[in-house]
Amino acid sequence: MMPLADERLDATFTALADPTRRAIVARLARGDATVNELAAPFDMSLPGISKHLKVLERSGLISRSRDAQFRPCHLERAALDPAVEWIEEHRRIWDERFDQLDAHLRDLQAGPSGGRNDEEDQ
Amino acid sequence: MDQQATVGELSFTRVFDAPRPLVFRCMITPEHLTHFWGPTGTSAPVERIRVDPRPGGVFETVMVNDADGSEYPTRATYVEVVEPERLVWTDDHSGMTVTATFTDVGADRTEVHIRQTNVPEPFRRPEAQAGFLTSLDRFAAHLAQLAADGAR
Repeated sequence: MMPLADERLDATFTALADPTRRAIVARLARGDATVNELAAPFDMSLPGISKHLKVLERSGLISRSRDAQFRPCHLERAALDPAVEWIEEHRRIWDERFDQLDAHLRDLQAGPSGGRNDEEDQ
Repeated sequence: MDQQATVGELSFTRVFDAPRPLVFRCMITPEHLTHFWGPTGTSAPVERIRVDPRPGGVFETVMVNDADGSEYPTRATYVEVVEPERLVWTDDHSGMTVTATFTDVGADRTEVHIRQTNVPEPFRRPEAQAGFLTSLDRFAAHLAQLAADGAR
Protein backbone atom coordinates (compact mmCIF):
# COMPACT_ATOMS: atom_id res chain seq x y z
CA MET A 1 0.00 0.00 0.00
CA MET A 2 1.20 3.48 -0.73
CA PRO A 3 -0.33 5.96 1.68
CA LEU A 4 0.16 9.02 -0.46
CA ALA A 5 -2.30 11.50 0.83
CA ASP A 6 -3.55 10.79 4.28
CA GLU A 7 -4.75 13.59 6.48
CA ARG A 8 -1.96 13.28 8.95
CA LEU A 9 0.61 13.77 6.26
CA ASP A 10 -1.29 16.76 4.92
CA ALA A 11 -1.25 18.38 8.37
CA THR A 12 2.48 17.81 8.66
CA PHE A 13 3.24 19.21 5.24
CA THR A 14 0.95 22.16 5.83
CA ALA A 15 2.69 22.91 9.10
CA LEU A 16 6.05 22.73 7.35
CA ALA A 17 4.96 24.90 4.45
CA ASP A 18 5.98 28.05 6.28
CA PRO A 19 9.65 29.05 6.49
CA THR A 20 9.33 30.39 10.04
CA ARG A 21 7.78 27.14 11.20
CA ARG A 22 10.51 25.15 9.48
CA ALA A 23 13.11 27.26 11.27
CA ILE A 24 11.35 26.65 14.58
CA VAL A 25 11.31 22.90 13.95
CA ALA A 26 14.98 22.94 12.97
CA ARG A 27 15.80 24.86 16.15
CA LEU A 28 13.83 22.39 18.29
CA ALA A 29 15.65 19.50 16.64
CA ARG A 30 18.65 20.72 18.64
CA GLY A 31 16.76 20.76 21.93
CA ASP A 32 13.73 22.13 23.79
CA ALA A 33 13.24 25.89 23.87
CA THR A 34 10.89 28.46 25.37
CA VAL A 35 8.75 30.79 23.27
CA ASN A 36 11.12 33.65 24.06
CA GLU A 37 14.11 31.67 22.90
CA LEU A 38 12.33 30.66 19.75
CA ALA A 39 11.25 34.22 19.00
CA ALA A 40 14.75 35.66 19.43
CA PRO A 41 16.12 34.96 15.92
CA PHE A 42 12.97 36.26 14.23
CA ASP A 43 11.78 39.76 13.66
CA MET A 44 8.39 38.81 14.98
CA SER A 45 6.19 39.52 17.97
CA LEU A 46 5.57 36.90 20.62
CA PRO A 47 1.92 36.57 19.56
CA GLY A 48 3.15 36.04 16.00
CA ILE A 49 5.43 33.25 17.12
CA SER A 50 2.69 31.82 19.30
CA LYS A 51 0.44 31.53 16.27
CA HIS A 52 3.05 29.45 14.48
CA LEU A 53 3.54 27.33 17.57
CA LYS A 54 -0.18 26.61 17.69
CA VAL A 55 -0.14 25.36 14.10
CA LEU A 56 2.82 23.14 14.90
CA GLU A 57 1.17 21.92 18.06
CA ARG A 58 -2.06 21.05 16.26
CA SER A 59 -0.14 19.10 13.66
CA GLY A 60 1.45 17.09 16.45
CA LEU A 61 4.95 18.17 15.46
CA ILE A 62 5.61 19.88 18.77
CA SER A 63 4.30 19.63 22.29
CA ARG A 64 4.45 22.06 25.20
CA SER A 65 4.52 21.08 28.81
CA ARG A 66 1.44 22.25 30.68
CA ASP A 67 2.97 22.80 34.07
CA ALA A 68 6.46 24.21 33.69
CA GLN A 69 6.55 27.98 34.12
CA PHE A 70 7.96 28.80 30.67
CA ARG A 71 6.22 25.97 28.89
CA PRO A 72 9.20 24.87 26.80
CA CYS A 73 8.44 23.51 23.34
CA HIS A 74 9.49 20.02 22.46
CA LEU A 75 9.88 18.52 18.99
CA GLU A 76 7.96 15.27 18.57
CA ARG A 77 10.44 13.62 16.26
CA ALA A 78 8.20 10.67 15.54
CA ALA A 79 5.59 13.01 14.05
CA LEU A 80 8.07 13.96 11.36
CA ASP A 81 8.68 10.39 10.30
CA PRO A 82 5.70 10.03 7.94
CA ALA A 83 6.67 13.21 6.08
CA VAL A 84 10.31 12.24 5.84
CA GLU A 85 9.32 8.73 4.79
CA TRP A 86 6.94 10.02 2.13
CA ILE A 87 9.68 12.09 0.60
CA GLU A 88 12.28 9.38 0.86
CA GLU A 89 9.95 6.77 -0.58
CA HIS A 90 9.20 8.86 -3.63
CA ARG A 91 12.79 9.87 -4.05
CA ARG A 92 13.76 6.20 -3.94
CA ILE A 93 11.15 5.25 -6.54
CA TRP A 94 12.41 7.86 -8.99
CA ASP A 95 16.00 6.97 -8.26
CA GLU A 96 15.38 3.32 -9.06
CA ARG A 97 13.29 4.09 -12.12
CA PHE A 98 16.00 6.30 -13.50
CA ASP A 99 18.72 3.74 -12.83
CA GLN A 100 16.70 1.31 -14.92
CA LEU A 101 15.90 3.87 -17.58
CA ASP A 102 19.60 4.65 -17.83
CA ALA A 103 20.37 0.97 -18.40
CA HIS A 104 17.50 0.67 -20.88
CA LEU A 105 18.73 3.68 -22.88
CA ARG A 106 22.20 2.16 -23.03
CA ASP A 107 20.72 -1.09 -24.36
CA LEU A 108 18.68 0.77 -26.97
CA GLN A 109 21.64 2.77 -28.19
CA ALA A 110 23.94 -0.22 -28.26
CA GLY A 111 21.80 -1.39 -31.19
CA PRO A 112 19.99 -4.65 -31.82
CA SER A 113 23.14 -6.76 -31.64
CA GLY A 114 24.78 -4.70 -28.97
CA GLY A 115 24.90 -6.82 -25.87
CA ARG A 116 21.35 -6.97 -24.61
CA ASN A 117 21.17 -8.76 -21.36
CA ASP A 118 17.63 -9.87 -20.82
CA GLU A 119 18.05 -13.47 -19.77
CA GLU A 120 15.81 -14.28 -16.87
CA ASP A 121 16.55 -17.97 -16.63
CA GLN A 122 19.52 -18.26 -14.37
CA MET B 1 -12.26 22.77 8.36
CA ASP B 2 -9.68 24.72 6.57
CA GLN B 3 -8.84 23.04 3.33
CA GLN B 4 -5.59 24.83 3.06
CA ALA B 5 -2.39 23.93 1.37
CA THR B 6 -1.27 20.40 1.16
CA VAL B 7 2.41 20.75 0.71
CA GLY B 8 4.50 17.85 -0.32
CA GLU B 9 6.89 18.37 -3.10
CA LEU B 10 9.92 16.70 -4.29
CA SER B 11 12.33 17.52 -7.02
CA PHE B 12 14.54 15.11 -8.77
CA THR B 13 17.03 15.52 -11.61
CA ARG B 14 18.98 13.02 -13.66
CA VAL B 15 21.10 13.37 -16.79
CA PHE B 16 20.94 10.58 -19.38
CA ASP B 17 23.40 9.86 -22.16
CA ALA B 18 20.72 9.77 -24.81
CA PRO B 19 19.05 12.24 -27.18
CA ARG B 20 16.02 14.07 -25.87
CA PRO B 21 13.44 12.62 -28.33
CA LEU B 22 14.41 9.10 -27.31
CA VAL B 23 14.27 9.82 -23.59
CA PHE B 24 10.88 11.43 -24.05
CA ARG B 25 9.55 8.48 -26.07
CA CYS B 26 10.65 6.15 -23.30
CA MET B 27 8.38 7.96 -20.86
CA ILE B 28 5.23 7.57 -23.00
CA THR B 29 5.70 4.17 -24.66
CA PRO B 30 4.56 0.99 -22.88
CA GLU B 31 7.27 -1.12 -24.55
CA HIS B 32 9.86 1.19 -22.99
CA LEU B 33 8.10 1.92 -19.71
CA THR B 34 7.94 -1.76 -18.89
CA HIS B 35 11.75 -1.78 -18.67
CA PHE B 36 12.05 0.80 -15.95
CA TRP B 37 8.76 1.96 -14.47
CA GLY B 38 8.52 -0.55 -11.63
CA PRO B 39 11.03 0.28 -8.90
CA THR B 40 13.41 -2.41 -7.66
CA GLY B 41 11.57 -5.54 -6.56
CA THR B 42 8.60 -4.85 -8.79
CA SER B 43 7.82 -5.13 -12.47
CA ALA B 44 5.43 -3.26 -14.73
CA PRO B 45 3.98 -5.75 -17.24
CA VAL B 46 3.76 -4.19 -20.68
CA GLU B 47 0.26 -5.55 -21.41
CA ARG B 48 -1.09 -3.66 -18.41
CA ILE B 49 0.34 -0.25 -19.26
CA ARG B 50 -2.07 2.11 -20.96
CA VAL B 51 -0.79 5.35 -22.37
CA ASP B 52 -2.75 7.95 -24.28
CA PRO B 53 -0.33 10.86 -24.38
CA ARG B 54 -2.50 13.90 -24.88
CA PRO B 55 -4.22 16.24 -22.42
CA GLY B 56 -7.04 14.32 -20.78
CA GLY B 57 -5.55 11.01 -21.92
CA VAL B 58 -5.04 8.10 -19.59
CA PHE B 59 -1.75 6.92 -18.07
CA GLU B 60 -2.21 3.59 -16.30
CA THR B 61 0.32 1.21 -14.92
CA VAL B 62 0.34 -1.77 -12.60
CA MET B 63 3.40 -2.43 -10.51
CA VAL B 64 3.62 -6.07 -9.49
CA ASN B 65 5.66 -7.05 -6.47
CA ASP B 66 8.11 -9.73 -7.64
CA ALA B 67 8.17 -11.44 -4.25
CA ASP B 68 4.49 -11.95 -3.49
CA GLY B 69 2.65 -10.92 -6.65
CA SER B 70 0.77 -8.10 -4.95
CA GLU B 71 -0.27 -5.36 -7.30
CA TYR B 72 -0.20 -1.57 -7.14
CA PRO B 73 -2.33 -0.16 -9.91
CA THR B 74 -2.03 3.52 -10.61
CA ARG B 75 -4.25 5.59 -12.82
CA ALA B 76 -3.36 9.08 -13.89
CA THR B 77 -4.50 11.63 -16.43
CA TYR B 78 -2.20 13.61 -18.67
CA VAL B 79 -2.47 17.34 -18.22
CA GLU B 80 0.15 18.44 -20.68
CA VAL B 81 2.10 16.63 -23.38
CA VAL B 82 4.65 18.72 -25.26
CA GLU B 83 6.99 16.40 -27.10
CA PRO B 84 9.91 16.31 -26.41
CA GLU B 85 9.92 18.96 -23.70
CA ARG B 86 7.36 18.50 -21.06
CA LEU B 87 5.03 15.92 -19.64
CA VAL B 88 2.53 16.54 -16.86
CA TRP B 89 0.15 14.05 -15.33
CA THR B 90 -2.07 13.96 -12.26
CA ASP B 91 -2.75 10.86 -10.24
CA ASP B 92 -6.51 10.25 -10.18
CA HIS B 93 -6.51 8.93 -6.65
CA SER B 94 -4.09 11.12 -4.70
CA GLY B 95 -4.30 14.25 -6.84
CA MET B 96 -0.56 14.25 -6.97
CA THR B 97 0.88 15.97 -10.01
CA VAL B 98 4.12 15.03 -11.68
CA THR B 99 5.87 17.39 -14.05
CA ALA B 100 8.70 15.97 -16.12
CA THR B 101 10.86 18.47 -17.98
CA PHE B 102 13.32 17.35 -20.64
CA THR B 103 16.28 19.59 -21.47
CA ASP B 104 19.18 19.20 -23.91
CA VAL B 105 22.48 19.40 -22.10
CA GLY B 106 25.01 18.90 -24.88
CA ALA B 107 25.28 16.40 -27.68
CA ASP B 108 22.92 13.50 -27.07
CA ARG B 109 22.63 14.19 -23.39
CA THR B 110 19.29 14.94 -21.76
CA GLU B 111 18.43 16.22 -18.35
CA VAL B 112 15.14 15.07 -16.92
CA HIS B 113 13.73 17.04 -14.04
CA ILE B 114 10.86 15.59 -12.07
CA ARG B 115 8.74 17.76 -9.88
CA GLN B 116 6.16 15.96 -7.86
CA THR B 117 3.51 17.83 -5.95
CA ASN B 118 0.18 17.28 -4.37
CA VAL B 119 -0.39 20.93 -3.81
CA PRO B 120 -3.93 22.19 -4.43
CA GLU B 121 -4.34 24.46 -7.42
CA PRO B 122 -4.56 27.84 -5.65
CA PHE B 123 -1.23 27.22 -4.07
CA ARG B 124 0.55 26.51 -7.28
CA ARG B 125 1.29 30.15 -8.00
CA PRO B 126 4.87 30.94 -8.99
CA GLU B 127 5.59 33.06 -5.94
CA ALA B 128 4.34 30.33 -3.68
CA GLN B 129 6.43 27.71 -5.38
CA ALA B 130 9.62 29.71 -5.44
CA GLY B 131 10.15 29.77 -1.76
CA PHE B 132 8.81 27.14 0.48
CA LEU B 133 7.91 24.29 -1.78
CA THR B 134 11.24 23.63 -3.41
CA SER B 135 13.12 23.46 -0.19
CA LEU B 136 10.91 20.87 1.44
CA ASP B 137 12.75 17.77 0.35
CA ARG B 138 16.11 19.24 1.33
CA PHE B 139 14.55 20.19 4.63
CA ALA B 140 13.41 16.63 5.19
CA ALA B 141 16.91 15.33 4.49
CA HIS B 142 18.28 17.89 6.88
CA LEU B 143 15.84 16.89 9.59
CA ALA B 144 16.53 13.22 9.07
CA GLN B 145 20.20 14.01 9.58
CA LEU B 146 19.50 16.02 12.72
CA ALA B 147 17.31 13.26 14.04
CA ALA B 148 20.03 10.69 13.34
CA ASP B 149 22.67 12.84 15.04
CA GLY B 150 20.51 13.56 18.03
CA ALA B 151 19.00 10.08 18.39
CA ARG B 152 19.49 8.59 21.77
